[in-house]
Amino acid sequence: MALYSRSGRPRPQSGGFELAAWYFMRFSGVALCVLALTHFSLEHFLFDPSQEDSTWIFNQRWNSLFWRGFDWLLLMMVLLHAFLGMRTVTMDYLQGGRRTLALTSLYLVGVVLFAMGTIVVFVGMPAA
Amino acid sequence: MLFRYRGSEGMVAWAFHRISGIAIWLFVMLHVLDIYLAGGNPNVYNDILKFYASTPGRCMEVLLGAALLYHALNGLRIMAMDFWPRLTAYHKQIWYANWVVFVGAGLPGAFIIMRPALGL
Amino acid sequence: MDVTLRILRCDPERDGAPHWETYKVAVDPMDRVLDLLIKVKAEQDGSLSFRRSCGHGICGSDAMLINNRNRLACRIRVDQLGKKISVAPLPGLPVVKDLIVEMSGFFGKYRSVRPYLINDQPEPERERRQSPEDRARFDDTTKCILCAACTASCPSFWARPEYVGPAAIVQAHRFIFDSRDEGAAERLEILSDEDGVWRCRTIFNCVEACPRGINITRAILEVSSAIVGRRG
Repeated sequence: MALYSRSGRPRPQSGGFELAAWYFMRFSGVALCVLALTHFSLEHFLFDPSQEDSTWIFNQRWNSLFWRGFDWLLLMMVLLHAFLGMRTVTMDYLQGGRRTLALTSLYLVGVVLFAMGTIVVFVGMPAA
Repeated sequence: MLFRYRGSEGMVAWAFHRISGIAIWLFVMLHVLDIYLAGGNPNVYNDILKFYASTPGRCMEVLLGAALLYHALNGLRIMAMDFWPRLTAYHKQIWYANWVVFVGAGLPGAFIIMRPALGL
Repeated sequence: MDVTLRILRCDPERDGAPHWETYKVAVDPMDRVLDLLIKVKAEQDGSLSFRRSCGHGICGSDAMLINNRNRLACRIRVDQLGKKISVAPLPGLPVVKDLIVEMSGFFGKYRSVRPYLINDQPEPERERRQSPEDRARFDDTTKCILCAACTASCPSFWARPEYVGPAAIVQAHRFIFDSRDEGAAERLEILSDEDGVWRCRTIFNCVEACPRGINITRAILEVSSAIVGRRG
């Protein structure tokens, strides 16, 4: 049985990355409590999806650099927090090839979402 | 074993934290995609928005808000214990306090989101 | 009174597949699960295998999964469990036979945290003295009997058997916070790797499972705070 070969534990190397990730999860978590909950309240309590068409977003919601910067910061925090969280879940439940595949797709999705979000926040204008 | 083992509040808190985290990640992917479309193809975005404003869409938003609120509250609970380990003695009390805040803030929130669908 | 005792049996030398077997046992409500197992072995099936030594909650030999929770068979009574009792080996550890699990991986992790006094100062003529406050700092973690109930209850350990686990961290805590010990830096280094303290998700299954009532999660978080404080 494979588990038998797991007896003992090799001399571990200290992981600066795990500590940094631990710190970052907590830092971004606090930041997201403010950013994400504000964002959600804004879209659903202050306004309503029935009035939020694309013209409204670009002309009203994102009419200042502050709100564009706010939403971009939210995007950064969400992507990194979710990326590290999903990495943890992946590393808990997948092994070998499946883990590599899942982590690679996670990286790719993260990069694509970062690019898409950044583009629309900073250069997005209503088409008409 | 994950489903058979009889854990206590702490294990349920952890399971919910994981499930809500994954659910929020899935929504974030959808949401970045739809907002990206708003820049390139406003008509498609406005169609997606009609779904968000519909009754099933609003139900999804209530669930999303619940996942966000739970994940935030339980995240604060975990962090409080991380930085003040002696709070672990009260982890169950903090978990129940979380639910009080969850219901107290969540019910009015859910009502505001669902109001148009209920015709109020 | 009669209880229905279900035991997860497994004999790798014969077939290897774990299967439940049911026994009807006449018991006294104040009997412990260990008494039931001894009775079954003596009266119904002599091939039933399990570990026990002192039988009084000190040696830590008879930890097992009883009614889906890890406990010591010698510390839980029939009247606490009811008329239907299920007994299985500790989850997450390889089964040797019936209720006996392979513990060498568990003890390997225990050894990896250097669970002994490290002090290179010249040996004093009398004992190394310590104030009551300094002693109280690690009092909770001196109670550990290495029964593995905590490590085998941890979802992080089930998911990743390489995780050093609650029991080894408790043992490390006992020396890291001992004022007479000088090996704290080394142990914190060992526990800060990928399979060290970061795998704790504050699930508290270990605390519920510990037959000695140790606040294990607190000990783990104190160790991770020490690592954070050292680098930060």
